[in-house]
Amino acid sequence: MEVLTLSQVSKSFGTKKVVEDLNLNLEEHKIFGFVGQNGAGKTTTMKMILGLLRPDRGEIFVNGQKVCFGQTGTSQSIGYLPDVPEFYGFMTPREYLELCGKMAGMPVEKRRDKVEELLHLVGLFDSNKRIQGFSRGMKQRLGIAQALLGDPVLLLCDEPTSALDPLGRKEILDILSDVKKHTTVLFSTHILSDVERICDEIAFLHKGRIALQGTIEEVKGMGKNKGSEIEVEFYQEQEADEFSAYFSRGRKKQERVLHFENQEKQNMFKMMQYLTEHQVAVQRMEVSEPTLEDLFLEVIGK
Amino acid sequence: MRQVTALIGKEFLALKRTGKLWIFIILFFLFGIMNPAVAKLTPWMMEMMAESFSETGLVVESVEVSALTSWMQFYKNIPIALIVFLLLFSSILTEEYQKGTLIQMVTKGAKRWKMIGAKYMTMAVFWTFGYLVMFAVTYGYNEYFWDNSTVSHVVLSAMGCYITGMWLISLIIFWSAVFSTSSFVLLAAGGVFFLCYLAGMIPELHSYLPLYLMETSDLLIKGGKFSEYVPSLLLTAGWSVVNLAGSVFCFNRKRL
Amino acid sequence: MESIKEMLPFLIPLIIAEFLLLFITLRHILTHENYKHGNRMLWLIVTIVGMEFIGPVLYFLLGKEES
Repeated sequence: MEVLTLSQVSKSFGTKKVVEDLNLNLEEHKIFGFVGQNGAGKTTTMKMILGLLRPDRGEIFVNGQKVCFGQTGTSQSIGYLPDVPEFYGFMTPREYLELCGKMAGMPVEKRRDKVEELLHLVGLFDSNKRIQGFSRGMKQRLGIAQALLGDPVLLLCDEPTSALDPLGRKEILDILSDVKKHTTVLFSTHILSDVERICDEIAFLHKGRIALQGTIEEVKGMGKNKGSEIEVEFYQEQEADEFSAYFSRGRKKQERVLHFENQEKQNMFKMMQYLTEHQVAVQRMEVSEPTLEDLFLEVIGK
Repeated sequence: MRQVTALIGKEFLALKRTGKLWIFIILFFLFGIMNPAVAKLTPWMMEMMAESFSETGLVVESVEVSALTSWMQFYKNIPIALIVFLLLFSSILTEEYQKGTLIQMVTKGAKRWKMIGAKYMTMAVFWTFGYLVMFAVTYGYNEYFWDNSTVSHVVLSAMGCYITGMWLISLIIFWSAVFSTSSFVLLAAGGVFFLCYLAGMIPELHSYLPLYLMETSDLLIKGGKFSEYVPSLLLTAGWSVVNLAGSVFCFNRKRL
Repeated sequence: MESIKEMLPFLIPLIIAEFLLLFITLRHILTHENYKHGNRMLWLIVTIVGMEFIGPVLYFLLGKEES
């Protein structure tokens, strides 16, 4: 079932086109990574899905229901985690979630259970501190709890990991992949390792358009037909020089490291053959697939 | 309804935990107690001045203070209390715009008109409470030292300033739905007040404007009928309703 | 002396209220590190000098940082 559909959505602020002709379909129980530079239109797209901004053109459907600006019809089936979530600092996390539950119109019993469950999930169960003393990571986790409160079918996370230290990031990512069982996650980021870690599908957003889209494997596969890169590290510089004289297309990356671009897998056997024949031991020989980063850089034309 | 009560509860929790609540209660109390105190001190101060004046040859007659003197002080101080109240509440919405805390409430399903309604209710309830405190303290002291029955229309004349306060609160809410920074809100609300003041210079308009209600204290001295104030009362109430309707209209279209 | 006795019903609550106000404000200033404007020294002076009520009001209006 399709949880989210965007068809030909465009939005501009003044003369600046922020989102242009965006099409997107999102299936249930997937984690979808929305990758793009700052200013690529990620936040704008999310706000339009939430009905906080009005698209200039195009339509957005959440769970088959059309999104209308300003009012809260569809937004109750969406959980939203803003990039820097801000809460009422004078409240404790439990009080805050209770307030959110009341806003969502949850019945008392269900609200209480759900709040406890979520506080456990995000590890803020025993925190009776007021939110004003929270670290960014704690706020981010509370933000996820808040977003999940109404059992949303769709969870939007706007750069949930950008401002966090490695530990905080790991915690958030773990929570997100945990949540996947119940809901669909759309999360924007510019940290590619996060994407590789938890996403099922990704889309590269560039200048308001989707430049590349598919599952992680598909997207990586798009880079594959260019051929792999081979890197060989020798023990002696002299050996490296001799090797590069034989395999002419190598580029010397460091004194003892040779780098070959656009190689077919076949070449690897030839190289190995050479090494055995000449009795040269190497420190390392590896084939590196094009990383998401390479692809991303290519997409944005750098 | 549950949303509205939850939102009002949140506002009062904020007032309590940020310490504003106690500050306000003490302030209202001070504003109540100051009036009879000043009235009580007047003859004594006059005496002091009379002594120093008598050296220069001026004669100051001794004054008789009564409940009226204290009530006059009350109406002199109310505008100050009102200004302090509005200043401290002027950021009630703009603070949330700047922090982005309303977004989460909206995405959780809070209706926008309920959010703005809850803000208005909070201010209205608090103003009512504060006004009652000020009135009760002054009334109590006056009863103790003098006699409130020597002045007429004690309660009715107090209604005027109270309703002007409610009108100004609705103005703050309206401009808060329009502007996003508290200084603009204050400037706009102050601007409207000033325009009303200017319009009041025209004799034909004078008795219809909201500011005319601040003169209900005249009832204490001159007597007169409360019915004189009814037109301006109706206009002020109507204007307040328009303000609130306008604020809901603007807030529905506001980018949070 | 007569007048002092007569003023007591005002003086006692007035003094209590003033000191409560002063105490709450000073505690707020001393338990917070950052202020919207100004610094701790400035706000202590303002609050004590204008203690009858204007000092605390100014502090809560201009000095108190949003939580």
